[in-house]
Amino acid sequence: MSDSLLDPVQPRTLAHLITSSIVGWFASLGRAYRLTLEHAGALGILVWDSIVAVVTLKVRMRDVLTQMHIMGIQSLPIVFVTASLAGIVTSQQGGYQLISSSPRYVLGTLVVQSVVLELGPLLTAVVLVGRIGARITAELGTMVVSEQIDAFKSLGRDPVAILAAPRIIAGIITMPLLVGFADVIGIYAGMIMASLDGGLGKETFFYGARLFWHSWDLFYGFSKALVFGIVIPVISVHMGLRTKGGAEGVGLQTTQAVMFMILTILIIDALFPPLLLQ
Amino acid sequence: MIRYRRIFKAFDIPVLSGVDMEVETGEMFALFGPSGTGKSVLLKTTLGLIVPDRGDVEVDGVSLYHGPSDALEQIRRKVGYVFQHAALFDSLNVFENVSMGLPEDELARLSRMETARKVWDALEIVNLEPREILTKLPSELSGGMKKRVGIARAIVGRPEILLWDEPTTGLDPINTAAVERLIKRLSGELEVTSLLVTHDVEGGLLICDRVAMLHSGTLRFSGTPQEFRDSPDPVVQAFVDRAAATAALDMASV
Repeated sequence: MSDSLLDPVQPRTLAHLITSSIVGWFASLGRAYRLTLEHAGALGILVWDSIVAVVTLKVRMRDVLTQMHIMGIQSLPIVFVTASLAGIVTSQQGGYQLISSSPRYVLGTLVVQSVVLELGPLLTAVVLVGRIGARITAELGTMVVSEQIDAFKSLGRDPVAILAAPRIIAGIITMPLLVGFADVIGIYAGMIMASLDGGLGKETFFYGARLFWHSWDLFYGFSKALVFGIVIPVISVHMGLRTKGGAEGVGLQTTQAVMFMILTILIIDALFPPLLLQ
Repeated sequence: MIRYRRIFKAFDIPVLSGVDMEVETGEMFALFGPSGTGKSVLLKTTLGLIVPDRGDVEVDGVSLYHGPSDALEQIRRKVGYVFQHAALFDSLNVFENVSMGLPEDELARLSRMETARKVWDALEIVNLEPREILTKLPSELSGGMKKRVGIARAIVGRPEILLWDEPTTGLDPINTAAVERLIKRLSGELEVTSLLVTHDVEGGLLICDRVAMLHSGTLRFSGTPQEFRDSPDPVVQAFVDRAAATAALDMASV
């Protein structure tokens, strides 16, 4: 028998290890729970303060338009590329799947439904997380660590009215417009690909699209866009304003914000079908 | 008068542990102390930028944390704050930055010409040439110029109290001396109460009427500059000696 097994201290140590692991596990759970509540509370306060800023007319139209330009106009090229590729790939893969099993016009149904219900809103949201969400968090985070937010407060200005509310309003307005643009581009890219790849005519493509079309699908897609348009600026502003430390803190907070936004968008995306497609 | 009553503040560890301090109306008051002793934290409690865990701040008899609901607004109108690294708004030019120092209602009431006049005057007071820098962005200014624009923003609304958070940090000894002279001159010309948090002990002793020292979260000393130099307290003496040695090194580097 080895010395270690004869060691009278060992049972106590083992018990201690087990106890401390259990305590540690509960402590981690408690910390995660507290952090979740903190985030939820702060997000709620941010949304409420933004609504108050809008209602009390503290938000300047110029700031909203500037943010709409940054989020909307400047995002058009990347949304165009993403939506085109989404339509092209859906058309190619759909054509491959349907080549011998279904009528060819079903490809029109497949492309339009995929783009309108899922790819348009989701891919546009993901693109905006990278292009706008990360930018907002980094920008506000830098303002926090360089005391610019404190400077606003010391001058009696409300950072929520100046920085948060215009971004949230711009997100709510811009996102559905971008998704509408992405839908059109994605559908036309898919149609062109169907024509080039499988010789499917425009009329046949749209015949298939109309055959299974429900107006509700458009409402569904735009509802997603609206929710994503709220989620992205709210989370990115919230994370930016919680930045601590210097440049490292800004980098860390931006990374966490992107993860937080992507995860939230995917969860919301998963909640939509049971809520609106039943 | 600014009165700090039993201010407690802890982040992960206690920073301020019951600080009592008074700054009389019209005086120049310097607050010294080693890094991390909570000097800037104390300064920020004056405007609610950091809320103390316990204690209260009174400005001209108005209690910030136990007073009327509009206490913060009342106090903000009286106080100008000069930040350590100027904290200019990156996306705004010098004119827009300085005009932000005017109260919101006053800014809405003034014509553009009147606002421009006030901004122009404030920039001239801090020895900047308005014509040359009004349309420049902060990124186009030197460190010393940024500090001066930050000071112009703090004084444009004609505050009764000026809070200076390490205004000479990051400046070379020549610019440091210039900014200190400016602080002294402004306090006299504008007849304001000044509370100066600084690492530059020699400069603070030269320009201030009274000084205090924070150590381990409490007020270790409060008195005149001469009393500070002659203090028998070994902690104060060690701090004075170290500050003198640092100042000598800085001058030698020039």
